[in-house]
Amino acid sequence: MTTLVSVHGLEMTYRAPVRPEGLRAAFRALVHREYRHIAAVADMSFDIAAGEVVGFLGPNGAGKTTTLKILSGILHPTSGDVRVLGFLPSRRRHEFLTQIALVRGSQPIGLPTELTVLDSFRYQQLLYGVRAADYQASIAELTEMLELQPLLDRQVRALSLGERMRAGLALALLYRPRVLFLDEPTLGLDVTAAIALRRFVAAYAARTGATVLLTSHYMADVQSLCRRVVLIDHGRLRYDGGLDALAADLAPYKLLRIALADPVPVSWEDFGTVEESDGGSVTLRVRRDDAAAVTGRLLTQLPVVDLSVTDPPLETVLDRFYRAEAK
Amino acid sequence: MSRILHLLWLSIWRSSLQWWSRRSFLITIVIGRAVTPLLGLIVWSAALPGDSAVATYYVVLLAVQLMTVSFEHHTLSNGIYAGNLGGELLAPKPVVIGYLGENLALRLWHLVFGMPLIVLAAALVGISVEWPAVAMAIPAILVAAALRFVFTYALALSALWTERAHGVVGFGETLIFLLGGTAAPLGILSEPLRSIGQALPFWSMLGMPAEVAAGTLHGSAIVAAYFVQLGWLAAGTALVVGVWRVGVRRFTALGG
Repeated sequence: MTTLVSVHGLEMTYRAPVRPEGLRAAFRALVHREYRHIAAVADMSFDIAAGEVVGFLGPNGAGKTTTLKILSGILHPTSGDVRVLGFLPSRRRHEFLTQIALVRGSQPIGLPTELTVLDSFRYQQLLYGVRAADYQASIAELTEMLELQPLLDRQVRALSLGERMRAGLALALLYRPRVLFLDEPTLGLDVTAAIALRRFVAAYAARTGATVLLTSHYMADVQSLCRRVVLIDHGRLRYDGGLDALAADLAPYKLLRIALADPVPVSWEDFGTVEESDGGSVTLRVRRDDAAAVTGRLLTQLPVVDLSVTDPPLETVLDRFYRAEAK
Repeated sequence: MSRILHLLWLSIWRSSLQWWSRRSFLITIVIGRAVTPLLGLIVWSAALPGDSAVATYYVVLLAVQLMTVSFEHHTLSNGIYAGNLGGELLAPKPVVIGYLGENLALRLWHLVFGMPLIVLAAALVGISVEWPAVAMAIPAILVAAALRFVFTYALALSALWTERAHGVVGFGETLIFLLGGTAAPLGILSEPLRSIGQALPFWSMLGMPAEVAAGTLHGSAIVAAYFVQLGWLAAGTALVVGVWRVGVRRFTALGG
């Protein structure tokens, strides 16, 4: 499969001014400034093939947005080789810009708010040189998929956050970009709007074969859209692989949830570590390798009426991982 | 080229709509921009009673002021502070197009809302303009408008280095007020102040077109003034291109 995004040995280092506290240090800093180099991204490498939808995960300050800005061409990396669609993003060539889109949940639409949504579409058509026939087809498709019909003749300033996000996404997709960078696309959206947006992105990627790189703090976004995830922390790549394998890789345990027929005294510590107990049921944490054996023992030794074996929630796994990394 | 012009036209249209929705605020800034030429008119009419040339000069200066206003510290600098530059860089067009369109839209509204003030001032002080002089001033007004945009744009780009871009542009505005022919018409200053003032870029942005239109500049003096004006426009354009390149290099190295 063709590689559309190629990142090798990417480094991004900022120079931040520092000085000790106090008036004397402040005056000294006027003539002799000292700097600290902060590595936002360090030695990062990965490739993304055409049509892949990849989740880009990491805690705040991990370097996700910095990486997206480098890939889209806003930032110039300190070193490393970055290619998107065969272009050096930092050169921001016209042919490159007309094939990518960066959608930020914090700034869904960067256009004058007095214009109507349809005015904005017209402007986008001219800006990206979309032919009339393609424009009509895109409008029809996006209007249907994002349920935009009631919004088309409304001013952008009168739209709710969810409506702005839908309109912003439609604007970004009007010219059918081949590579889509989504930075926290469901930020601030309610559950219904977030689900609709996820459904749309999945359908769009499937229908057009677009390559999508998505950052999000909401695991539901990642779980519903991405089969592959790239996990970074402190600017370094920590994991690159299937979402299914992520929990197994980072959390070497499973959760067993047991409900008993009668309340009998049980020494749960003999089976595993109690994660949660709410009277009627108990959740145990058990080593992944021992899960089958412990399940067998529970079923034979206790009056079990219900038992489920699950991977721990992704949020929990990542939280443990981030906290362990911080130490 | 036609695509760029079309984008510029759309940008003017979009910005005009945007600013129309803020028309109350717009009227206050039009009045703010008209205050200094009107003050000059009052002060110098009192100082030189019966001198119709001074009155004519200040009324024309008011019109030139409204046709050349630049607010790039509000549009460009505030856009940089709001984090919009990253998105602008990713749009397949020169970044300046949007700001130029907004500049032209603002000037259009300034002229529309300022026209009653110009007419009223002209009627009250009784100006006398000669239309050949006004026609000769039209290119000068266009170059002045371009020069003032370039000057303000370059200063507004200081937002890429400092959070005090408004102060930087404000200092530039003060220089235009003091040396551009608002505080005093350069024509009535003694030498060498007059020659120095005319050689600086500020007079080319404001006072020079007003003097040409008011008919206080003649013959070879007009030609010389045009050369100075075009020279400063070339220098200003080179400066703004340089500042933009260095600024964007810094922005893309440090992040938005």
